[in-house]
Amino acid sequence: MKKTSRFQVTGLALIIVSLVSFTQGQPSVPKAKLPVLTTSAGQSNDVTTVNIVLEEAGIGFDYCDVPDVDMMKAGVGLADKESGPGFHAEVYTDLAKFPKGTPYGTIIFAIGASLKGMGASGLTIESEEARLKRVIDYCEQNKIFIIAVHVGGTALRGAPGSDNEKMIDAVVPFADYVIVTKESNKDARFTKIAQSKKVPLTEVDYALDLVGILKQVFQ
Amino acid sequence: MKAKGSVLLSGHVLLILFILVGLTAPPQDHPSAALPPDEGPEGCTVIMVAKGASADGSTMATHTCDCGTCDWTWRHVPAADHKPGEMRKVYHINQYKTWPPEQGLKWDLYRNDFTGLEIPEVPHTYGYHHGMFGYMNDRQLGIGESTIGCVRKLENNTPTPAFDITMLTLIAMERAKTAREAVQLMGSLAEKHGYGFNDGGEMLAVHDPNELWVFEIMPVGPLWTPKTGKPGAVWCAQRVPDDHVCVCPNESRIGEVDLKNKDYFLGSSHMVSLAVEQGLYDPKAGKPFSWKRAYSPAEGSAVSSNGRRARLWRFFNLTAPSLKLSPETPDMDFPFSVKPDKPISVQDVMNMTRDRSQGSQFDRVKGLRGGPFSNPNYYGTTRTIGTPSVEYTTITQCRGWLPAPIGGIVWLSFGLQETSCYMPLYAGITNLPAPFSVGDHWVLNRDSARWAFDYVDFHTQVVYNFALEEVKKSQAEWEAKTVLRIPEIDKEALERYNRSELEGIGYLDGFCLSHADFVVKAWWKLGDDLFVRFNKLGYYDPEKRTFSRGQNLYPEWWKRAIKVWDAIFESAD
Repeated sequence: MKKTSRFQVTGLALIIVSLVSFTQGQPSVPKAKLPVLTTSAGQSNDVTTVNIVLEEAGIGFDYCDVPDVDMMKAGVGLADKESGPGFHAEVYTDLAKFPKGTPYGTIIFAIGASLKGMGASGLTIESEEARLKRVIDYCEQNKIFIIAVHVGGTALRGAPGSDNEKMIDAVVPFADYVIVTKESNKDARFTKIAQSKKVPLTEVDYALDLVGILKQVFQ
Repeated sequence: MKAKGSVLLSGHVLLILFILVGLTAPPQDHPSAALPPDEGPEGCTVIMVAKGASADGSTMATHTCDCGTCDWTWRHVPAADHKPGEMRKVYHINQYKTWPPEQGLKWDLYRNDFTGLEIPEVPHTYGYHHGMFGYMNDRQLGIGESTIGCVRKLENNTPTPAFDITMLTLIAMERAKTAREAVQLMGSLAEKHGYGFNDGGEMLAVHDPNELWVFEIMPVGPLWTPKTGKPGAVWCAQRVPDDHVCVCPNESRIGEVDLKNKDYFLGSSHMVSLAVEQGLYDPKAGKPFSWKRAYSPAEGSAVSSNGRRARLWRFFNLTAPSLKLSPETPDMDFPFSVKPDKPISVQDVMNMTRDRSQGSQFDRVKGLRGGPFSNPNYYGTTRTIGTPSVEYTTITQCRGWLPAPIGGIVWLSFGLQETSCYMPLYAGITNLPAPFSVGDHWVLNRDSARWAFDYVDFHTQVVYNFALEEVKKSQAEWEAKTVLRIPEIDKEALERYNRSELEGIGYLDGFCLSHADFVVKAWWKLGDDLFVRFNKLGYYDPEKRTFSRGQNLYPEWWKRAIKVWDAIFESAD
């Protein structure tokens, strides 16, 4: 009995040490404002993951795969644009709280290049970069909080100058908060950018972990 | 003279009206033009023939590997024995990914994408033939693949799931000797370690000499992790009745499921509860659970889509015309499988993979569409079973009356089936032809078999209908005769195999390698011959050393069409 208690004490101490080091290693989660728009940087499917995370977290959102400045200006409701070939616009924001036209408080970019996705939207990597720059410039001018998410792991990473890295370069240096999976950040590239730009970064094991984090962000 | 002139004028006006109507309005046979675009996959076709539906008692399945930019190379993975404690690494393999040849072969480059998962190795792994997927092992387990898609919320593109469809086929090849074993193995591994990442909803035809199964698998959404304790995949398999044929043209094919009937159904025990949990099925609605309606509910008909439902309809129209299924039949209402009107031979299956919907309302050369030489590749009408984006096509054939290494055959053709040639690769052979293992789309490589077939295809495009007749002569020589010769090869191989397995396999190795070598050389020569014969759109006869300078290859109807066009659009000049 005595021996078991010693183990229990040791175990508890280890847990406390782990928790302390975890909380010290991870920066505090920043706060952001609703309403939120989700979109893709590179047209991979990962924005679907972000949308499902928000749904699971009970956070309403608008989604557009290829918004431009006009849609950002239109705010909630995405100017009533309808989905069509190579274009998706979906509104899940609580319109009672945020009526159509309410300016977005936050934008979440799911990063990952997909030639198939860009092709379906009639984009090239260059036109996608240009679109992202316009949107990010607008966000900066209008103080819209930018969250960069990368959950695709090494499959959505590449050599310097590759399409995937270009998408990271187009978004992450301008983000106010970065969330990445450990597999996406194996080379610590996101950490380095976040440190140089002095923005908080959170590393997670699984996409599922984003649920709790985004709940905190929009609390 | 004046009256004749009036008649001619009236005739021209009528023709002009016809053409103008044709130019400005959607064609009658494509009411789809007014419907929303179909965003589903438009890729590979799997044709399946169960043993009682085939002419010789074999089971067959195709994979038309319709990609356009993928890696077409093949290798043989040898059988191996493993010591206790050995582990098998699991890799993420993207079926669409291709690498520049100077970076290495794809099977070596896969290893850069280790998932972190290792599973205990089995004492013995079977040898198999590997292209984009695993196709046939030395126990004569055969596989064909078609992407079917799934509801968006179930996609899981995160790296968390360890398995994608390619890796599942490789493990099945290594470890399963029957279709049933393969289906259960793939399903259980996917549930345990997760499925998705590179793939969404996928279908595999899985067959052995006795049974033919349609295996369909879906991810369970991006929030799955092994720590949830829930299955990381949902799957279902339905057996094709022994006297039936079936098809998968990028469409989920399994409807109502009876998991208690284990002769015909296998699947995840949570398939209904997950559908309910995800809001994909409402038991209170009073309708029985349907796998395809819940998990892959794309609906339409042959006339309302760009091709996959046209392929669905066309297959049933070709194999069971007596059913008189209409092209307007909703895809969800098609039978899972049918008894064909006539037994299906391997040559019939080869011909079906070449189908361009000739004579149907989806005929790609109807009217002006094919140009003067009836080329089905000119005008982008409805997608057909045969399509230029094909990397290669396999027909896996399992024949239970022979020992597995002799009974199993992968019939392989590179490039567009119409201008290619099926070559047999027996299940037991331990070497594949070297030209099958090299080359890519971006550099012409004369050491690559695939390029020999593209070389012929390219030269066929110029004067299509004339050149195709020349190709058919070569197909008759190298393909049809080989199909007829197979019983003789089997007999010789069996006699040697009964004396010594090694001798039998050695004989088949020699036959397959030398036959492929002859065919590839014949196709390079055919390409040269087509080039010479139809050079400058003339007709040079190499045998007679003549040139039909006066022979005009353009058909009369085309010349008339030119005149009408001129009358409408050039008259102002």
